[in-house]
Amino acid sequence: MNLSLPEELTGKTGLRTEEMILNVGPQHPSTHGVFRLVAKIDGETIKEAIPVMGYLHRGTEKLAENLTYTQIIPYTDRLDYLASMTNNYVFCHAVETMMGLEIPDRAEYLRVIVMELQRIASHFVWWGTYLLDIGAIGPFLYAFRDRETIIELFAELSGARLTYNYMRIGGVKWDAPPGWIDKVSEFVQYMKKELDNYHRLVSGNEIFVNRLTGVGTYSREMALDYSLSGVMLRCTGEKWDLRKDEPYSIYDRFDFDVPTSTDGDCMARYHLRLEEIVQSLRIVEQAVAQFPKDGEIMGKVPRVIRPPAGETFVRIEAPRGELGVYIASQGKDKPWRMKLRRPSFVNLQILPDLLRGENISNMIAILGSIDIVVGEVDA
Amino acid sequence: MLGFAKGLGFTLKKLTEKSVTHKYPDVPYPFPPRFRGIQHFSPEKCIVCNQCARICPTECIQLTGKSHPDPEKKGKIIDTYDINFEICILCDLCTEVCPTEAIVMTNNFELSTYSRDELFKNLKWLDDNNTNVREEN
Ligand code: SF4
Ligand code: SF4
Repeated sequence: MNLSLPEELTGKTGLRTEEMILNVGPQHPSTHGVFRLVAKIDGETIKEAIPVMGYLHRGTEKLAENLTYTQIIPYTDRLDYLASMTNNYVFCHAVETMMGLEIPDRAEYLRVIVMELQRIASHFVWWGTYLLDIGAIGPFLYAFRDRETIIELFAELSGARLTYNYMRIGGVKWDAPPGWIDKVSEFVQYMKKELDNYHRLVSGNEIFVNRLTGVGTYSREMALDYSLSGVMLRCTGEKWDLRKDEPYSIYDRFDFDVPTSTDGDCMARYHLRLEEIVQSLRIVEQAVAQFPKDGEIMGKVPRVIRPPAGETFVRIEAPRGELGVYIASQGKDKPWRMKLRRPSFVNLQILPDLLRGENISNMIAILGSIDIVVGEVDA
Repeated sequence: MLGFAKGLGFTLKKLTEKSVTHKYPDVPYPFPPRFRGIQHFSPEKCIVCNQCARICPTECIQLTGKSHPDPEKKGKIIDTYDINFEICILCDLCTEVCPTEAIVMTNNFELSTYSRDELFKNLKWLDDNNTNVREEN
C-alpha cells in the first residue's frame, strides 16, 4: 500500500495516531456525583488528567455567615452526605470548644456510637460502589442491605435517614429510644460475623486481586506533600489517626487499633477500609457496654449561642480523613467566618499525578479508591 | 481460582434466603415514630411568637398575626401561616423551638406533586394535615 504520509506520522505500524481529549462526567455514574474529569489520552494512555470541580458548590461557608450557629448544623449534614453525623459533630465541637462547654457523658457516648456507625455505613457505600465501578454488581447489594440496618437505626434515633441534624451545640437532640442500644449491639454482633462473608465474596477473588494490586501506587512522601489524610495516608505506612493522636470527645476511653499498610496501592486502601470497619465495630461494642444508665443529653447551654470573640480550629477523623472547622467569631450569634477543611477535596488533589501515564482502564479504579463525596469536594 | 469459587459459592447460598426488599409503594412503608414528615399546624395553639420563622434556616415559614378579636384578651392570634415546601429541608428546628407545639411533625412523607405551586402549603392545608402526628416534638 502506498501511503503518502511521512514515516514519523505513520510510525512502523502504518497507523496514524493522535492525542484526544476525553471528557468524563460531570454526569457519569463512576464519579459519584457531579464531578468532571478531562483526560488527554494518547491511545489508551492518559497523558494528563484535569479534575474540574464546583458543580455542586452551594457556598456553605458563605451561607454560614448569615446563619445562627444552630441553623448551620443542618447545612453541615449536606456536605459529606454519607457521613452527616461526623459533620454535625465537628461543627458542634468547634463551637463547644470556643464556648468551653461541658458535654454530658451520655451525650458523648451517643455521639461516639453514631459517629462510628456512620463510619461503617460510609465505608459500606464505598465498598459497594467501588466494586460496582470496577464491574462487580453483587457486592453493592450486600453493602446496601447492611447499611440499611444502620440507616434504620439512625431514623429511629433522629427521625431522618440521611440528613440527621442530630447533634446540637452542647449535646444531642434525642436520647436513645427504648431498646435502641440493644439493637445497636445486636447489629455489631451480626456484622462481626457478616464481614467475613464480604471477604469471602470479594477479597479472595483472583480477578479482583489482580485488577487492583499495584494500581494507583504512591509513596509516603507524596502523600505527605499532598497533605492526604485518612485511609489515603495510612495506606502508605504513616500511622496517623486523630482519634488516637489527638483524642477528641471520649475516644481515649476505647481500645482500638489504627490499621496501616505500606503498599500504597488500591488494594491496600481496600483492605484498610474493611479493617476500619472492624475497628469501628470494636469501638461501638465498648461504647455500648460502657453506656451510662441515665444522665442528661444536653449540657448547660446559654439560650442564645454567642461564642466569645476569637477564632478556633478543630479537626476530627471523618470516614474520609481529617475534617476540620475553622470559626472566627466576633462575639455575635453568627460566625464572622467559617472555613471547612474537607478531606475529600484535599485527597482529590493527588488525582492528576496518579493518573499521568496510567492506562485508561485504571482511571475509574484509581478515582474510586480515593473515596470522594462530591458534596464535600465542592461544599 | 479458589477465591473465585468461594465467592460463587457464597452467592449461590444466598439464593435461597428470604428477600430483604420492601414492597413499597404497594405496601405502605412504616417509618419510626420520630420520623420527620410534613408538618401539622394547629392555629388555636399558636401564640404568634415568631420563633419558628426565625429559626428556620431556609426561611420558608411566612406568618402574620392579628390582634385578638376579643378585646378583653391580650396577645395575638395567627392570621396566615405558610410553609414553602419547595425549600423546606425538614430539619426539625421549627418544631423544636415552638413553645406551644403548635407546629409539629407528622409521619406523612409522600410529598411529590405535578406542580410547584402545590408545594406552597397554607394554614388551612397544614391544619388539615392532621393524620399520623408525631407524639414527641
Ligand atoms: S423543618 Fe426546617 S426548613 Fe422546614 S419549615 Fe421547619 S425549620 Fe424550616
Ligand atoms: S413557634 Fe409555634 S407558637 Fe410561635 S409562631 Fe411558630 S407556630 Fe406559633
